[in-house]
Amino acid sequence: MKRRQRRIKTKLAVIGAGLSGFSAAIFALKRGIKTTLLGHTGALAYTTGYLDLLGARRGRLLDDPWAGLAALREDEPEHPLARLGNDEIKDAFACFTAALRDMGIGYSMPGALNRMVLLPAGIRKPTLCVPDTMLAGMEAADRRAKTLILDFAGLAGFSAAEFKANFLTTWPAITVQKIQFPGMEHGQVFPEVMARALEVPSLYAELARRISPRLDGARYVGLPAILGMHAPDEVHAAMERLLGLPVFEIPTIPPAVPGIRLRELFERALPETGLELEPQLKVQRADLRPDGITLYLHGPMEDLEVESEAVILASGRFLSGGLKAGHETLSEPLLGLPLYQPGARKDWYRREYLDRRGHRINRAGVKTDTDLRPLGGDGAPVNTRLFAAGSLLAHQDWVRQRCGTGLAIATALRAVKSAQAILS
Amino acid sequence: MMEIAPERAEPVDFLTTARDLLPEGASYEACIACGLCASGCPASGLYGMDPRRFIRMAMLGLNEELAGTPWVWTCTQCKRCAYICPMGIDVSVLVGIARGGWPRDKKPKGIMRSCEAQMRDDSTSAMGLRSADFIEIIAETVDEIREGDKRFKNLTAPIDKAGAEFVVNQNSREPAVEPEELGPLWKIFDYVGVSWSYTSKGWAAENFCMFTGDETSWKEMVKTRVEAINALGAKTWINTECGHSFYTMWKGIERFGLEADFEAGNLISFYAKWIREGRLPVNSDWNRDNLKFTVQDPCQLVRKSIGDPVADDLRFVARKLVGEGNFVDMQPCRSANYCCGGGGGFLQAGMNEQRRAYGKRKFDQIIATKAQYVLTPCHNCHSQMSDIGGYYGGKYHVVHFWTLICLSLGILGPNERKYLGPELACL
Repeated sequence: MKRRQRRIKTKLAVIGAGLSGFSAAIFALKRGIKTTLLGHTGALAYTTGYLDLLGARRGRLLDDPWAGLAALREDEPEHPLARLGNDEIKDAFACFTAALRDMGIGYSMPGALNRMVLLPAGIRKPTLCVPDTMLAGMEAADRRAKTLILDFAGLAGFSAAEFKANFLTTWPAITVQKIQFPGMEHGQVFPEVMARALEVPSLYAELARRISPRLDGARYVGLPAILGMHAPDEVHAAMERLLGLPVFEIPTIPPAVPGIRLRELFERALPETGLELEPQLKVQRADLRPDGITLYLHGPMEDLEVESEAVILASGRFLSGGLKAGHETLSEPLLGLPLYQPGARKDWYRREYLDRRGHRINRAGVKTDTDLRPLGGDGAPVNTRLFAAGSLLAHQDWVRQRCGTGLAIATALRAVKSAQAILS
Repeated sequence: MMEIAPERAEPVDFLTTARDLLPEGASYEACIACGLCASGCPASGLYGMDPRRFIRMAMLGLNEELAGTPWVWTCTQCKRCAYICPMGIDVSVLVGIARGGWPRDKKPKGIMRSCEAQMRDDSTSAMGLRSADFIEIIAETVDEIREGDKRFKNLTAPIDKAGAEFVVNQNSREPAVEPEELGPLWKIFDYVGVSWSYTSKGWAAENFCMFTGDETSWKEMVKTRVEAINALGAKTWINTECGHSFYTMWKGIERFGLEADFEAGNLISFYAKWIREGRLPVNSDWNRDNLKFTVQDPCQLVRKSIGDPVADDLRFVARKLVGEGNFVDMQPCRSANYCCGGGGGFLQAGMNEQRRAYGKRKFDQIIATKAQYVLTPCHNCHSQMSDIGGYYGGKYHVVHFWTLICLSLGILGPNERKYLGPELACL
């Protein structure tokens, strides 16, 4: 049978369906650039929902990420965030959170300081922007308010007892209750399944009925992040109304709802604003030319060719296939870009996993100029139409530095601006 | 259903066998056990199994345990696990292997009976409708429409017409049990002026043999149909509104290396094309009460075959038919949509309790849209969503696209309205 052949002509092709790729699409669409996003899902669904800018430096947590960035520019000048200005980074966060709100998930705007948000293990961490459904948790913790923390029979991803135990000294007024989720009284329950069920009004009403008799004078109610998948702000508001108290969500360990929310939000809302999205396929091959770039993808029933004036590579690290580890060397599999990387395998990791200096392999990645054009072996851009953004960039350690979102969206903004400058 | 010990001297080694079937770059070893697959799978928890557990057990070489779990008949092989897995790991491939390894007499009888009926003669009909009877029913139904509506006094439903542009495979349900539902699609073809034909051999559009895990029978089904279509020299083959038969056909052609001289088309994209070209001038004027409609993306057609382009066409057609503001998407949808639980032979497997537990997620999705109607171009989706609607107390109706298209064009006959609610049936 003849395989179908499909051709797409676009201005900007973004490779990668993670935080960086989707934010690049948001920034490009806002500038009126015809954009196509290609890529199978990556690590986006694993996020807590918090948007970190810079949470840690040299093993210490940061109150002021902007001062942290100034320090970063001094001692890590090649760090992708160190090569951007504070205004540009702030712009990226402001534009990104505004877009999230427009699409349907409320977030706090970027402020002057980090905010100390709650984690499922009963600890706090610094972040810049917080989903509206999680805001009241910080307030409850700051006030050490009497708070009821709930978990659910059969839920493996969150333990209210563990949360309470770790807060015992700093927030003693926590009480915990384990309840049955309506309609899921048997076996293992997943946060994703509960969240989707709570989109049905009769179910959140029933959940509220089960919670109400257990309040016992609590001023706040905290529960794992399950308050809806596509309309979390509506479900959250309904629960606050039904319980008559501030309610907050606590992110759970993956597979968790906040990341799935973001992915499905992007997949749902961005095509409505003009994004051409191919969410199932990975780019298999690319042909770089001075006058354009062609990408080749293969679907179950068709071959797809994408002809683009510019390409942003936002394919992530090892998990999503943006980088590949061989026995001795790391590689970038799509274009074979030269990487900044440790000399030999024995240098990839330090002896201690928690070594404060981090592991060299985590700083490996694609080298670029300040326009975020990947550099070839000769130190010159590989192609004037190719740009890179996000976690595949070299000279950063986003996990230890707690700068994942900042890295993703701020470099995406820079890459889009650089690409825009060369579009016809 | 009890767990069974398959009657095999050596149980299949799932990992080794699956490795040959995986697409390039995919690898079961890449599983990091994150659980997105299990979290996103409506079959999770049935028979104490879920996709993550299945993969981890395969990694550990627990082949006998996997060979015996009845969970493989509750997995609809919808490939949602592969869609949401960062590594693209496809559990349905392992499930297909496991199904094939079950002793014939232990496999769900309903699926086996359907496959056996298909193998009985060259009609390939899962409902056992022989070709001679099919031809007779078609002729009688054509006569009834011609007599009943003078606008269609020249309507035809050709069989074995050489050189027709389209060859259409027909789901057996209509000719076997509800021939009055044949008419709307024929009227659409007539209205648009399409040159089309059925085939007398291999005319049916279903393939339960794939679901039994019996590759030889699957191939046999596809081969009979491909030869019949080749013989007519048609440019394009399409199915009636249908999900799984579309997948089993193109996938079978590819998998078994069959020579097919035609393209695989799908009816929904042709509806969309004809509407865009002005040949099918549908509108939503009939929807005076602003009834709300949602659409179910059949996994076999969207995620497993064409992807989002056909999901776009589905929505384009639906919006034109019911009015822009009256269309509400289920969430998630398109390539990320949940299987309804009617696929993979689940409807025929006799496991009603498990099937309805699986379908609860679809039911919640539908209820969350507040839609009064669900449109779907797939018979299994249609039956399953009707069943769970009744079981869980939903008030929605499930309709084919052809019904609304004909309603919109004012050509829907009085006996072609059985799936409409009273407020539309009387229009």
